Amino acid sequence: MSGIELLLEYLTKYFPILLFIFVALAFGVVTLLISYLVQPKYPEPEKLSAYECGSEPFSDARMPFPVRYYIFAMLFVIFDIEVIFLYPWAVVFNDINKVSIIGLVEMLVFIALFLVAYVYAWRKGALEWD
Amino acid sequence: MTIPVFYYLILSAVVFLTGLVGVLIRRNIIIILLSVELMLNATNINFVAFSQYFHNVAGQVFVFFALTIAAAEVAVGLAIIIALHRAKSSINVDEFQLLKW
Amino acid sequence: MEQLFFFYFAAVIAVASVLVVALRNPIYSALSLLIMFFHVAGLYVSLRAEFLAAVQVIVYAGAILVLYLFVVMLLNLKQDDRYHRQWPVAGVVGLTLAVEAVMLTLLKGRAIPPAPANTNETVEGLGNTEALGDALYSTYLFPFEVASLILLVAMIGAIILAKKDIGGSEA
Repeated sequence: MSGIELLLEYLTKYFPILLFIFVALAFGVVTLLISYLVQPKYPEPEKLSAYECGSEPFSDARMPFPVRYYIFAMLFVIFDIEVIFLYPWAVVFNDINKVSIIGLVEMLVFIALFLVAYVYAWRKGALEWD
Repeated sequence: MTIPVFYYLILSAVVFLTGLVGVLIRRNIIIILLSVELMLNATNINFVAFSQYFHNVAGQVFVFFALTIAAAEVAVGLAIIIALHRAKSSINVDEFQLLKW
Repeated sequence: MEQLFFFYFAAVIAVASVLVVALRNPIYSALSLLIMFFHVAGLYVSLRAEFLAAVQVIVYAGAILVLYLFVVMLLNLKQDDRYHRQWPVAGVVGLTLAVEAVMLTLLKGRAIPPAPANTNETVEGLGNTEALGDALYSTYLFPFEVASLILLVAMIGAIILAKKDIGGSEA
């Protein structure tokens, strides 16, 4: 396969993704650019400092997060992987020759384990907001 | 015009060595875990390159499992870091010299 | 053209991974790791592993790195100013492995056997996700179940380790 052909193939296959990336980038860049060009600029030290309801800023903006956000992010990572495992299964499931009844049972076992994890997280209060 | 599998080996060796050196020279546990991620990615590149080379999908299945292990490692590793930080309020590896306190 | 893709992705991956190790601020390290993950996904696309490229972006860039950034912000890290004292050890180990890799590639690397004919689990032909699912849910059923068990154990372990702050009342 020659170079140009390959490039054309990639372009036709990945055109939506390319478009998506460009639109996403352009949205950010254009928004910042417009607001930079349109805004009036009268910089003063008082204006440039962070706005904290009128009082003097007393700390860095990089405050520690509460730990409960971490729990949600962690549960998200685990459940994300579990969902990713369902995609290839769903794709091959139509063909009954490939995924036999054993495949179905195995996936049910997988989902059962996943439910055990979910119930455990729920019972331990990991899903509570407060 | 295809890329020899040899190039992929060099790339993954470079990334793996970078991760190894990072594990050894950094003092911050989070950066050490990030370097472990680098090493995992280097092996994944190898697996996918050989899967393409041998026209066999088994390598990609292994990458899938490596990803699962990476996710489990991250969840537990970061939970350990949080527990350590709570005990010592530091994440410098030099300060964790006791197995028990 | 393929070589152009490869050299671009390889250069960015190598530079970003060196930056992960070299940068002092953990947030910058995590962000350069993000760049590296995206370029590894691009490399997977050029290797015809489209499903893995998507998974790489979703899991590594979308979940694992977000978790790292959460922890960096949670612990409110200051800059890490010095490297570890054991950098000579790192230099020796790294240099040894690098020399070994160079020697092996010089001796054996170019003499790679030609690619064998397609085995029965072919990558081309049917879609990548289909091929992967086919192999995963026939040959690798047992590892798949073990993986789900590992995920369960990892979640329980992480909840227990981080438990002091959840469960509300006693915190």
